[in-house]
Amino acid sequence: MLADLRRTGSPRPGSGARPGYDVNVPEPRRPTGNQAALREANRSRIIDAVKHHGALTQVELAGTTGLSPATVSNIVKELSTSGVLHTAPSTRSGRRAQRVTLAHQLGLTVGIHVSTRHMHVALADTRYTVVTEHRMPLARHHRADSELDKAALLIADMIESVDADREEILGVGIAVAAPVDHGTGMIARRGLMRGWDGIPIAESMAQRVGCPTYVDNSSNLAALAELRLGAARGRSDVVVLELSDGIGAGIVTGGRVLAGQHGTAGELGHVVVDPHGPVCRCGNRGCLEAVAGIDAVLDVVNSGRSRAVNFTDLVVAALTGDDESIRAIADAGRAVGRAVAGLANVLDPQRVVVGGEFARAGELLVGPIRHAFEAGLLRDVGALPELVQTELGGRAPVLGALALAIDALDIQDLVIHDE
Amino acid sequence: MTTTELDLRPRVPATEPVMSLRGITKRFGAVRALSRVDLDVYPGEVVALVGDNGAGKSTLVKILAGVHQQDDGTITFENAVVSITDPAAARELGISSVFQDLALCDNLDVVANLFLGHEVTTGGVIDEEEMERRSWELLRQLSARIPSVRTHVAALSGGQRQSVAIARALVGEPKVVVLDEPTAALGVAQTAEVLNLIERLRERGHGVVFVSHNLADVQAVADRVVVLRLGRNNGTFNTRDISYEDIIAAITGATDHGASRNPFTEEPA
Repeated sequence: MLADLRRTGSPRPGSGARPGYDVNVPEPRRPTGNQAALREANRSRIIDAVKHHGALTQVELAGTTGLSPATVSNIVKELSTSGVLHTAPSTRSGRRAQRVTLAHQLGLTVGIHVSTRHMHVALADTRYTVVTEHRMPLARHHRADSELDKAALLIADMIESVDADREEILGVGIAVAAPVDHGTGMIARRGLMRGWDGIPIAESMAQRVGCPTYVDNSSNLAALAELRLGAARGRSDVVVLELSDGIGAGIVTGGRVLAGQHGTAGELGHVVVDPHGPVCRCGNRGCLEAVAGIDAVLDVVNSGRSRAVNFTDLVVAALTGDDESIRAIADAGRAVGRAVAGLANVLDPQRVVVGGEFARAGELLVGPIRHAFEAGLLRDVGALPELVQTELGGRAPVLGALALAIDALDIQDLVIHDE
Repeated sequence: MTTTELDLRPRVPATEPVMSLRGITKRFGAVRALSRVDLDVYPGEVVALVGDNGAGKSTLVKILAGVHQQDDGTITFENAVVSITDPAAARELGISSVFQDLALCDNLDVVANLFLGHEVTTGGVIDEEEMERRSWELLRQLSARIPSVRTHVAALSGGQRQSVAIARALVGEPKVVVLDEPTAALGVAQTAEVLNLIERLRERGHGVVFVSHNLADVQAVADRVVVLRLGRNNGTFNTRDISYEDIIAAITGATDHGASRNPFTEEPA
C-alpha cells in the first residue's frame, strides 16, 4: 500500500484519477461485491478524508466517512503499520483520542502557486504526497508583499494542522505566472505581474519562512510536474501549455525544461498572432495572450453586456449549448492551435500537453486547438505529435513548485533524517 | 478541476435582478442613516457592499434582514414589491443573513445548529438521521472542512463556525444570502476557507451580498462593488475594471460618484 501510494504521486483527493508511471493508465477498475473490495474502498475513503482535513481524530474519521468506529480503528492501525498514516495521542472534548495524519517521513516541502487570481499552497513530503493544501482567491492586481505575508501565515497554519514543526520544512518552491530571471530572482520583464516587479521573490519569502526558497515561472514548473508525475512521464521532448489568464509554454527538450538566457523561454503568450489585434499587457499588439487568454476571451464575451460573466459562467453556458460562448472558446482554441503548431514545427516534440485553468473547458477548447494544430503541422499524418490534456488538473504548477524545492534538497541530509 | 465537477444547473447570465432596492431611506430620530440608496443583486452574483464606518452598510443589511424597516423606498424581490416586516418575513421571502456574531449555539452540535427552529420531523418525532444526512450534503456542497457534524460548535475554529453559520443560512434554499463581515477576526487559512465558500455560493446560483472592510477579500471574490458613503450611494463598479485605489477613493470621498448632493436642497430630514 505504501509503495502504491507513493508511486502514484499525488492523486487529486477524492477524484479517483491517479497519475501513474504509465501515462495511459485507465481508471483502476473497482471490483465490487466482495469483502476485499469493500475493505479497499474503505481504506481509500479514510485516506481521502485525512487528506481533505489534514488531521482528524478516529472518532471524527468515523463521522466523516460514515464507517463504524471499529472499522476505522482497524484500518487506521493497518495503514499506520504500513507507514501511510501516522497516529499521535491527543484529546477531544476532554477524552483521549487518536489524531490521524498522513505520514511524512523525511520532512516536508511547500509548493506555492501564485496565478493572476488564485493562490494555491500545498504541503507535501519529499515523494510528492500532498499532506494538506489550501487554495484562495486573490484580488486582480495583487502585490508581492501582502501575498507573501498571507502565504507565510497560511504555511504556519497548515504546519500546525498536520501536527508538524516548523523545523520539518526543508524547502519552499514558488511558481509565479510570469517569467523569472534566474540571475536576479525577479520577474524577468516588468509589467507582466505589476505588483511583483522588482521584488527578489525567493529571498523575500525565505526571510518570512526561514528556509531555502526557490522560484520559477509556473509554465516551466507545470512542465516539470508533467515530466515527473503527469502526461509527459518517460518522454524527453514535450511542450506543456498553460492556458489561463496568461498563456505560457513549458518546453522540455532532451528531458530538461528549457529556461533560456533570461528565463523567458516558452513565453508563447507573447507571440504576435494578429498585428491588428488588441494591445497586450506586455505592450505589444495582438499577442496570443491578448487574443486567447481567459481574460481576453471574457473581454470579448462581456463587451456589450450589462452583466459581466466570469470564466465558470462561460464554460457552463458553453456546456449547456450557448452558441456565443462555444464560439468564443473555439476561437481562442484555434488561435492557440495555430501558434502551437508553429512551435511544434520548430521543436518537433513527442507530445503537447494542454493544461492551465482554461483546460477546464475540456473538449470545447481542446477540439479546436487540435484541429488548428494538426492543420498547421509540417509532419505527415501518422507521425504527428500527440495533443493530450493534463493529468494533473490545476495542480501541475504547485506540484512543479514542490519538485523545484525537492530537487534542491541535499540528499545526504535526507538520509540522516531518515534514520 | 474538470468539467464534470461543474454544477450545470442553468443559472447564468441572468439579466433580471433577483432583488432590487430603490430609494431606500432610513432615519433614526434626527440621524439620517440612509438616503435614497439603490442596490441590485442578480442571481449567481457576489455584490460587495463597502464603505467607511457609519456609511450605512449595517443599516442596509438590517433592513434586508427585517430587523429595521425603511422609512421610504421600495424593495422588489423577484419582480414583486415586498415589505420585509420582520426577520421571519425575510426568511420566508428567501433572504438569509449571517451576522458578524454568527448567532450559533455553542452548546449544540453542528446538526442541531443547522436545523434549529425547523427540525426535520417524521410522524412528530425529530428525524436525527435525515438531518445528519442533509447536513453532510450541505457541508459537502460547500466543500466545508468540518471534521464531524456531531461536534459541539464550541469546539470548532473560527472559519469552521463561519462555515456552519453560512450552511445554516442555506437550509431553506434562499435566493439571496447576506454576509456581514464574514472574514473579520479570522486567520488566513480560515479566510481562505470562507472566500472559497463564497465562490461556492455564487456557483450554486445564490445572489450574495458581502459586507467587508477588507478590500483584498472584496476584490478577490466580488463581481460588483457598491460603495456607500455617509448613507448614500457613491458608485457601483465592476471589479474587472476597478483598482484598489479607485475603491478607496470612492469610500473616502476623494472621488464623487453622485453621493454629495446638497443636503439642504434635498428632501427634509
